[in-house]
Amino acid sequence: MHLDGATLLQQLINGLSQGGIYALIALGYTMVYGIIELINFAHGDVYTLGTFFSLAVLSLLGVTGVVSGPMLIVVVAAAILAAMILCGLTGVLIERLAYRRLRNAPKLAPLITAIGMSFILENLMLYWRGPSPVPFPQVIPNPEIALGAVTVQAKQIIVVLLAVVLMLLLQSFVLNTRLGKAMRATAQDKDAAQLMGIDINTTIALTFLIGSALAGAAGFVSGVYYGSTWFFNGFAAGLKAFTAAVLGGIGNIAGAMLGGFLIGLIEALTTQFIGDQWSNVLVFSILVIVLIFRPSGILGESLPAKV
Amino acid sequence: MRFSSFSRTAGAAALAAALAACSNTSSTTTTSSTTAGGSSPAASPAAAGSSGAASGTTIKIGIDFPLSGQDAAVGRPSANGALLAIEQANAAGFAGGKYTLSAVVLDDTVQGKHDPAAGAQNVKTLIADPAVLAMVGPYNSNVAKAEIPLTNDAGLAQISPANTNDGLTIGDDAKKLRTAHPDTNAYFRVCTRDSRQGLALAQFARKLGWKKVYVIDDNETYGKGLADVFDPSFQKLGGTVLGHDHITANQQDFKALLTKVKSTQPDAVFYGGDVSTGGGLLREQMADVGMSKTPFMGGDGIGTSEFLKVAGPMANQTYYSIAAPDAAKLPSASAFVAAYRKRFGSDIGAYSANSYTAAKIEIAAIAKAIQDDGGKLPSRADVLKNVAATNGFASPIGTIGFDADGDTTAPILTLKRVQNGQPVTYDQLVLKT
Repeated sequence: MHLDGATLLQQLINGLSQGGIYALIALGYTMVYGIIELINFAHGDVYTLGTFFSLAVLSLLGVTGVVSGPMLIVVVAAAILAAMILCGLTGVLIERLAYRRLRNAPKLAPLITAIGMSFILENLMLYWRGPSPVPFPQVIPNPEIALGAVTVQAKQIIVVLLAVVLMLLLQSFVLNTRLGKAMRATAQDKDAAQLMGIDINTTIALTFLIGSALAGAAGFVSGVYYGSTWFFNGFAAGLKAFTAAVLGGIGNIAGAMLGGFLIGLIEALTTQFIGDQWSNVLVFSILVIVLIFRPSGILGESLPAKV
Repeated sequence: MRFSSFSRTAGAAALAAALAACSNTSSTTTTSSTTAGGSSPAASPAAAGSSGAASGTTIKIGIDFPLSGQDAAVGRPSANGALLAIEQANAAGFAGGKYTLSAVVLDDTVQGKHDPAAGAQNVKTLIADPAVLAMVGPYNSNVAKAEIPLTNDAGLAQISPANTNDGLTIGDDAKKLRTAHPDTNAYFRVCTRDSRQGLALAQFARKLGWKKVYVIDDNETYGKGLADVFDPSFQKLGGTVLGHDHITANQQDFKALLTKVKSTQPDAVFYGGDVSTGGGLLREQMADVGMSKTPFMGGDGIGTSEFLKVAGPMANQTYYSIAAPDAAKLPSASAFVAAYRKRFGSDIGAYSANSYTAAKIEIAAIAKAIQDDGGKLPSRADVLKNVAATNGFASPIGTIGFDADGDTTAPILTLKRVQNGQPVTYDQLVLKT
């Protein structure tokens, strides 16, 4: 239907910023799958928990609107760090309580457990903050930058930048540090890694810590980006992020990022050209097609990069 | 090797997701039974105080609404309206004190949102109890769709205060719902239909001077039904519909859709749907794409306090209809409004008066059946016959009767506008039948 260059460009910007949030969640999915081959369905809910944690910190600090000056850095740092630390600990706790015992059980057992964890987290959040969307303060000044007929909001740029920066940090952590090396070794062969003196339990816990902390960061960003959240948010977002991880090549960090951005773009363009109701259909159809013709995803499970 | 292990996991994931979907439904039984336990005592104190011989046989009236979650803002005041009618009847010595009325209050919410399967389960619970002779509810049209075949089969009189979807009472759709007894109708409503609500909104939109409107709906029975009436009606009245899109359940991001809407430069955006299916977020995000000055219009689905909360400052410049009169302004409802405030300590909801009326009609039908049977406990069929014959019934919302389809013979609509964060009555319409 109706189309001009400006609208198309605007949709690409919408798609990229939505995709940035998917990408941040997808990183955690892909890390956990890479190391213990578990699809951690509770991950999407850890992301929502991140929004609620940062919201709690903001209310504690008495923040209800945009903050300016040096206080901005303090407030944002406090909110995002609190979300990352608390979500990271939640992730470690979930792994310790629910998944560790089932590490050698048939694949279906931890998977069902993950869905159970997802329900538990959702209902805890339902109990904590109620069933309605909860408003989230704007916090970050959000000037609109006009580029001709297209407007970019500052928060859209922040989402995309944060996703890329965190992805690069994660990538370099996995490739260049001792702990990263331990993670890669565990991913390749748990038993051999243990024989080489790697503490498997600590390494897996660390993976959950980092993956969930990234979900926490995504949670804070999404709160600022949408201005609201609700307990059930993680369900749909988690499914999309999981799809993103598979699309890019599950276990592959750069792939998760690519998948996230792609899904955001597919959604925005489907909405523009076909209709909003078809965006889920298209996203999941593409997932099926990719799995049939390129089962290891677009970038594949490239082993060196595999966490 | 690597791939095969992944695909197996993915298959298992799909299976597990399907299992998870099933478990949603079964969880409703617990939700509803706890609510029933929690709410029915509210009716009993009045019953006990009504007459010395409260030991008489109990006749039950079922009440089914969304009582928790986002829909509770509209569901609770509706349930309260019916409860008040039952309590008043007991206090006035129902059927000479020989019988005591009691309410069975059930909740059709799952995961914070109204749910057709939960509603159907609640109706099955009501039907299984032989003491239940009639029911009030539900609030949502898609829940009604799941319930009507059951009440039709059991011959249990059901009156909804708020369902507006056309297909519940008229046309082939309604016939399909009456599966067990296609020729008898057990479902009635005291509010008007979407074909009338949608038409009234289209007329109203034109009256506001809007020429081009973009239509969005939530793809549910009620929302899509309303939008599908508004869309052609608005065009017939000389307006242009720039596009018609459907949003999906649990959607959080409407920026892409709204960017598309903005590019068509509409005078207003029309939304057919509820707040729990995205109405509030949709309105709120209009600010993000630079549409904060564009008005927003919808049906009774967005006429709730929940909408004002979710949409925040963007709630202003929103117009919506209520398929009921503004009872707070009707002289005939002043006694009800006062009694409601005294009993529940809050103001009435948009459908409280309708719900009160629905229960009163059923109570009158039961009383008449008792009288006709010479004081014996009436059957559901007797009660249904009397409900269907309702005509010239004086109620807070006017003189009510039912036509052959089960629709009200006195459809009244209120049009509201949100100003400074508060809804203000803008216009009231009595529609011709």
